Amino acid sequence: MILFQGVHKEYPRTGAALTDVTFHLRKGEFTFVTGPSGAGKTTLVKLVTMEERPTSGTVRVSGYASDRIRTRDIPALRRRLGIVFQDFRLLKNRTARENVAFALEVTGASAEQISPKVLRTLAAVGLSDKADHLPSELSGGEQQRVAIARALVNDPFILLADEPTGNLDPKVALDILRVFKDINLRGMAVLLVTHDRTLLGEHPRARIIELDQGRIVRDTANGGGAAG
Amino acid sequence: MAYTSREAFFAFRRSPLLTALSIATIAFALYTLSVFGLVWTNIDRVLEGVEERVEVIAYLVDGTDPTETSALMREVAAYPEVDSIAYLSKEDALERARAELTDYAELYEDLEANPLPASVEIALRDGFRDASDVGDVATRVARFPFVEEIKYGEDWVQKLDFLQDLSLFLGLVMGGVFAAIAFVAIGATINIVLISREDEIAIMKMVGATRAFIARPLVIEGFAKGVIGAVVALVLLTLTYSLLEQRVVSLTFYSPLQVAGGVLLGGALGAVASIVTLRRHLSSW
Repeated sequence: MILFQGVHKEYPRTGAALTDVTFHLRKGEFTFVTGPSGAGKTTLVKLVTMEERPTSGTVRVSGYASDRIRTRDIPALRRRLGIVFQDFRLLKNRTARENVAFALEVTGASAEQISPKVLRTLAAVGLSDKADHLPSELSGGEQQRVAIARALVNDPFILLADEPTGNLDPKVALDILRVFKDINLRGMAVLLVTHDRTLLGEHPRARIIELDQGRIVRDTANGGGAAG
Repeated sequence: MAYTSREAFFAFRRSPLLTALSIATIAFALYTLSVFGLVWTNIDRVLEGVEERVEVIAYLVDGTDPTETSALMREVAAYPEVDSIAYLSKEDALERARAELTDYAELYEDLEANPLPASVEIALRDGFRDASDVGDVATRVARFPFVEEIKYGEDWVQKLDFLQDLSLFLGLVMGGVFAAIAFVAIGATINIVLISREDEIAIMKMVGATRAFIARPLVIEGFAKGVIGAVVALVLLTLTYSLLEQRVVSLTFYSPLQVAGGVLLGGALGAVASIVTLRRHLSSW
């Protein structure tokens, strides 16, 4: 599903961001990617979305290989990924409903298909009553739920979240983690990037990939142990 | 398509100030270009009017046999440069002189003999009225032995040639410069619009929008702004024109076809400037 094979990523100015990274994410798996800042977590996310390509090695995501994918195939790949960021990245002048609908409009879906699906997805993240609110009228946690709904609405095979709780207070962060766990229970894979170690303890059965200075220093799927 | 048109026109409501600024820039750029174009076409038209009067006159030796004259006329009429040819007899020449030179009417009265020669007036086709073609026709006609003298205003034909070349050169260079300024100005305002929407474009890329999907509403927006800017420029130009017409000089305005072409050109400039600017913003994925 997602396969990193001997991935090395170097930026011209800042040097190596990832070194010899190899892992395989399976269907329906919940994985934390953790490590201090500068460990290469965000680079890893950009390699999955093909915003960046590896300097050497290969990234495979749902049938697309980093060394063969054409720029025009990238939109199709992105539609199969649900992506959530720390800063929510919502369109400020559109309501929650319109923000979620946006991800479907992009695929060319018709208005009749969009409306019920958007409402169902907003209900799934517990925001039915806030559908017509602008982002500025929502709390941080609610804005992140809208972003999660937008990521889910295209039925991706994996939800990719880069520090999704970074801008939220601890209690709200746990609420958001619960939303991710619920989504995972319904069979969708989740890749959650975080530097917040307290989140890891909230989901002991999840796989943990720990990065430090661009290298994997622990992978619980390879017998690295959950407590490490 | 519903999304595209909704987005394109949503932009006008969403950022009215920025939209007004881009339209004003486009309008000003196109206005400058159209004023220059108007001045240029009027100068060119005057020069063309003068050029139409270029002709070669061959004065004939007195007593030339009419059959020889007709032979000359037949032969010269067949030159590719020649549009029409007319014979003016001695009597007709005198008649014309009397009619045209009324101040000197007494000179032509009580003449014992008609001093004016018969002549052949040769009008040239459009495109054959420059100094070299006119000189060439004159040289060939002068070879007929019974042609006494040839006149074609060599000096002013050369001056006219120079003025026309200068006008064409200035027209192309200045027109090109103004069009380039218009293009850069439009590109710059569209760039500001795109920078103000960078976040939105990033979100579109993230949720899997294709390049065409992102670009389409922005190109339509550029086109619409170009058209509106052109219409504003047209209103300003019409005002300028009527002011000049009333107070200064009589000018010829653009034809309806040229006006329509100008408005479309505004739209095309807006669309192309959007595409060029978008390429930079959509180069990475």
